Parts: sequence; C-alpha cells; structure tokens
Amino acid sequence: MISHAPILAILLPLFAAFLMPVIGILSRRRGIKRAREWFAIAVVLAEFAVVASMLPAVWGGQVLVYQLGGWQPPWGVNLAIDGLNLLVALIVAGIGTLVMIYSFVYMERDTGLDQYYTLFLLIVAGMMGVALTGDIFNLYVFFEIMCISSYALVAFRRKWQSIEASIKYMIVSSLGTSFILLGIALLYGLVGSLNIADLAQKLGQVSPSAVIVPLALFVTGLGIKIAVVPLHMWMPDAYQAAPSAVAALFSGATATVGIYAMVRVVYTLFGAFAIGIMLAALGLVTMVIGALMALAQRDLKRLLAYSGISQVGYVLLGIGLGTVLGIQGGLFHLFNNAIYKTMLFMIAGAIIYRVGTSNMDQLGGLWKNMPVTATLFVVGALAISGVPPFNGFASKWMIYVAGIEAGQPVFTIIALITSALTLAYFLKALNSIFLGQRPKHLSDVKETPLPMMFPIMLLAVLCVVFGVLPQLGIDIVRPAQEAVMNSGGYISAVLGGA
Amino acid sequence: MISESVLFGRGFWGPIIATAAMLLIAAVGGLILLGGRRLTKAKPSAGKLKTYACGEELEASDIHADSEQFFSPIRRVFRPFYRYIRPAHSGDLSTYLFWVVVGLIIILISIALVIGVG
Amino acid sequence: MDFNYVIAMLLVALGLYCLLLKRNLIKLIIGLVVLTDGIHLFLISLGYRSGGAAAIVSGEMFSDLPGFAAQAVDPIPQALVLTSIVINICILALALSLTIYAYRHYGTLDPSKLRRLKE
Repeated sequence: MISHAPILAILLPLFAAFLMPVIGILSRRRGIKRAREWFAIAVVLAEFAVVASMLPAVWGGQVLVYQLGGWQPPWGVNLAIDGLNLLVALIVAGIGTLVMIYSFVYMERDTGLDQYYTLFLLIVAGMMGVALTGDIFNLYVFFEIMCISSYALVAFRRKWQSIEASIKYMIVSSLGTSFILLGIALLYGLVGSLNIADLAQKLGQVSPSAVIVPLALFVTGLGIKIAVVPLHMWMPDAYQAAPSAVAALFSGATATVGIYAMVRVVYTLFGAFAIGIMLAALGLVTMVIGALMALAQRDLKRLLAYSGISQVGYVLLGIGLGTVLGIQGGLFHLFNNAIYKTMLFMIAGAIIYRVGTSNMDQLGGLWKNMPVTATLFVVGALAISGVPPFNGFASKWMIYVAGIEAGQPVFTIIALITSALTLAYFLKALNSIFLGQRPKHLSDVKETPLPMMFPIMLLAVLCVVFGVLPQLGIDIVRPAQEAVMNSGGYISAVLGGA
Repeated sequence: MISESVLFGRGFWGPIIATAAMLLIAAVGGLILLGGRRLTKAKPSAGKLKTYACGEELEASDIHADSEQFFSPIRRVFRPFYRYIRPAHSGDLSTYLFWVVVGLIIILISIALVIGVG
Repeated sequence: MDFNYVIAMLLVALGLYCLLLKRNLIKLIIGLVVLTDGIHLFLISLGYRSGGAAAIVSGEMFSDLPGFAAQAVDPIPQALVLTSIVINICILALALSLTIYAYRHYGTLDPSKLRRLKE
C-alpha cells in the first residue's frame, strides 16, 4: 500500500482540478495540443492505482483508519475504509478513468474544456471523499462538492434543455441535501458527535423513536440522489440534457456513491436493519415504475435514465432483504449496473457523436453503418435484461433466489416481470436504432471512432467475463457484503485507537 | 481457483457449461443456415424489394416503426398504471417538489411504523 | 432558548411552503435559502450558551481548562454552519446564473413554463 493512500485518493483529483485551468493556459501559450486531456487521464489512472494499492490490506479483512492531523476519533475527522468503501472507491476510480478516456474524443467539439475537466475531476474528488470518509459532516461536504459540480456539468452546453434540466436538478437536489443537513443537525443535537462509528455506538443507547425523524430525512435526501420513486423525476431530465460522457459518469459512479451512502447511513450509522423491508418495497416500486416509464420513451438517453432508475430498484431490493445472499446479490448488481449502464450511455453518446440525435424516431438501420457499436449495444442490452451468459443474469438471479429464501416470493415475481419489461424496452431501442429502415440522410454515417470504442469494448468484455465467471464478481463483492453485515467490526476498528 | 459452477443459495447455475452449450447451439444453427441452398436464381426488382402494404405506396420513413407505436399492446395492458404515473412526470418543477415532500412523509410514516413509535 | 428552535423550524416550514407554492424561479431560490438558513439557525442554537465565552483558548485560560469548558460555547456547530454557509453561497450563485440563462432561453421565470423536457 502507498503510504497515506486514503487521503491521496481524495487530494489527487482535488488538486488536479485546480491545476487544470493553469495547464489549459500553459498549453495554449506553448501550443501543446491535448495537454489537458492527457493530464486528466494521467490523474485518473494514478487515482485508480492509489485505490488499487489499498486492495490487499482491505480484502485481508483490515479496516484502514486514517486520522487527519493525528487527531484521535471521535475528535478529529478520519477516513475509514472497509470492504464496502473500497468497492465503491474502485467503481468510482474505474468508471472515472474509462469516462475520461471516452471524453478525449467525445468532447473535442466543445469549447470551454478547461472547465469541463476541472468539474469532472471535482466530481471524482467529491465521490471519492464520500466513499472514503468516516465522518458524517465530511460526507455531507463531499456530497455537496459532487452535487454542485454535477449541476454545472449538466448545464455545460448551455442549450435550453441543459439549463432547464440543471435548474430542476439543482432545486430538487438542494432540497435533498438540506434534508441531509437537517438530519445531521438533529443527530448532533441528540448525541453530540459527528464521527460515523461514534454516532453508531451512541445511537445504540438512544430510544428508537428518537431516531425516526433523522433517519427519514437521511433516507429521503439520499433517495433523491439515487432516484428512488417518487423522488426520481429530475433524473431523466438531467441525463437527457447532460453530455453523454457526463451521463455515463453519473449513471455509473454517482448512483453507486448514493447507494453506498444510503447503506452506510441506514445499516452502519443507525443500525436499522429493520427498515430493510421498507427499502425493499421502495426498490420494488422504483423498478416497476422505472421500467414502465422506459417503455414509453422516444429518446434513447431518457430511456436509459429510466432503465437506470429501474436497475437501482433491484439493488435496493437485494440490499433491503438483508440476508447474506440478498446483500451480496444487491452489491453485485450495483457493480454490474455500473459496468453496463456506463457502457450503454457511452454507446448513446457515440450515436449522438456520429448522427447528432438520440431521438429514436429519427434513427434506424444503423446496423449497416456501425456494426461493432450495434453488437456492443446488444451485449449491453442483454446484460441489463439479465440474459445469460452476461453478468446481469448472475446478479439478478442471486436477488431472485434471495427473495424466495427471505420468504418474499411476491418480490421475486415482480422482479422477474420487470426483467421481461427491461428486455422489451431494449428490444424496442435496438429495433428503432439499429434495425429497420434507414432514413436516407443516415447512409454515410461512420463507425464510432476507436478511442471512444475502446472503453465501451473494455466494459463489454467485463460484462461477458463476470457473466461467464460470476464467482470472480462475487469474490469482489464479498468483502463489501461482510462489511455491511459487520458494523460492530467497523465501529471497534475506528474507535479502537481512542 | 474459480470453480466451474456456482451455487447461488438454492439454485444451481453452471455458467461455463451453459455458455458452451449456447455457443454450440449457435454454431449448429449457423451450420444449418449455411447448408441451405437456393434452388432458383434470385431476380430482384424494385417491386419485389418494396414492403407490401396492401398495395399502398409508402415512403421508407413511414415503414419505420414509430417508438410510440412499438409495444403499444403491452402499454395497453398497463394502461391503468400509466393513467396515474404519466401525469406525475409533467416536467413541472412544482410537481417534482410536491412529490419530494410526499415521499418524505411516506418514508417518515413507514419508518415510524417499522421501528414503532414510543 | 427554546424560542430559537421554534423560529428555526418556522423558517424551515416557510422555506418549504415557498418551494411548494411559489411560481417564480427567484422565489423558489429564496425559499431554498430561507430553508437552509432555518437549518443553520437550528444548528447554531444547539451550541449556543447565553453569555458564553468564545471557544478560543489563549493566555491564562490554559491554567483553568475545565472552568473554561464550563462557560465556553460549543465550537463545532459554528464550524459546521460556516462550512454550510459557504456551500450554500455556491449553490445560490450557480442557481441565479442558471436563472439568468433560463430567462434568456424561455423569456419567463415561471417554472411551470420550463417544461419542454417531460415524461
């Protein structure tokens, strides 16, 4: 492990973000082309290496506790990394790297790329901070860094739709984050601490009825970020209007971070395994409504956004069941969802890059022009619908079995029907975009450029690998599942030094 | 070492065997397709290539399935749901905020019911 | 003392009312700011002590730390509120600049007219 790796993982993108304008100016003065892009890619690659360097220790069962400024918890702010934190950090760093490589070509026609890369690295820094911190207020601050940068990135192209989507996203999401702040204030008033482990220990002695309001505020605030029905309406607007690279980052990484925060707060901080059944019910409603709305969409990115909402429902269902298999399945699905959802948004971006629209009524017959892209889209669509031998099948099946074993066969049946709906709307997308009659003006559309194709292909390979060898994926998520179930270990590891 | 098959709870799934079987079947299907041969010579003409629509003249763009019509039967099955879901997605910011507050109240009540007041 | 909490919750309720019922983007943003300010007031009241000393230890105070702790205010809520105010200024600035753009594109500030993205 690199020494100081936990803090390095946060500081690296944060400092790089503020260096980015300087590098932009320098590269223009000196006439160096693409300096910003290469620098950004180098930073995220280094970030990935830093996160990966923590893997052996954490998978060995250790909880890394990094005390900022040498202050003992609960007095000082600390970073605490167990299996769950590391899984999320790994997803964030991996997706961040791939989307950055994708942006290299995808964003080349835009101006103001200094700001784009600055905001992008700020989002990565914010997500990494949320994923690694062990302090609830620190989590809120990093959450806000992530949110504010994402409002700005949604509005990046400043067209009417981006402005409208950004305003909606901003007001709804700010309301959510103020709920979180109110929840933190109530918790501080209740037990007088901000450290997650210390809070968890002290909340064990408080009467359960006192935590109802803060818990509800947290669940609602974080639910807005991960788009739980009925708090999800901002998400399709934002994803449709944002540049596809940004949408890919949001759907892959930001949603993952939101679910991480939800799991950490509900299971570790409040120790409220009892409300898992409520999370599962919310997940069911989310997956059904997401799938039904996706079926009615005309725009590919909007369809993908609704399907993202629907997939988050599966994750919540698995995690909410609270059994070993359920949590493993839920986290495995979270991991898989990050893979194929990012990939599908990248394909949508490739279509926009070549054709200029993602409206499915104006597309058709692109199979002849973009055979590789079309094949990759089929892989992604089959993976997300849970068709073997792709990775979506493995995690969905774990969730189905977990539902039956937990004595909730109705949940499993609803999840199965939703899976069929998922396949239905992806068949519709496939038919409208790649099959059928090709409009005349699309006859000279070219294949996706190679630098954009590379991350998509890599993700497609991952889809197949984790589908054929699901044990590999389960080995990756098992430390995270053990961390979720073992909040006592987390608390004693953080407070052990005090 | 990764085991060849994985037990998920009560179920059993041998991903490698299943994938091999799927590839095999696909190969067999491909072979059958290759084995077929055309007996008469192909004589394409403009009239034959045209999509038949009861003799009506149609533009290529009209033949393309509109995404609104695609799966309209399925959507008809779920119409009762759509009647309630669609108005909520009006695009109006006030509706979004209204549902956020409703969501907060629902979550508050259900948590109170699960944990128990008092 | 309890008066603070009543006012804080009143501010939160007012902010929510404004967010739910007003039909002007600027008013929505004002509502958001009022709501967060209510939370700030709540947070700062948690650490408030009538007639308390500032929580800065210097000079001869080091000799009597327990006595100092007995009359100092709680510094943590102040730090939290300070951080939160900075964050909310960022949101406010971004929201207002987006509102300017929205007015340029749509010619109105009515959020119910900003609904070209729907369903």
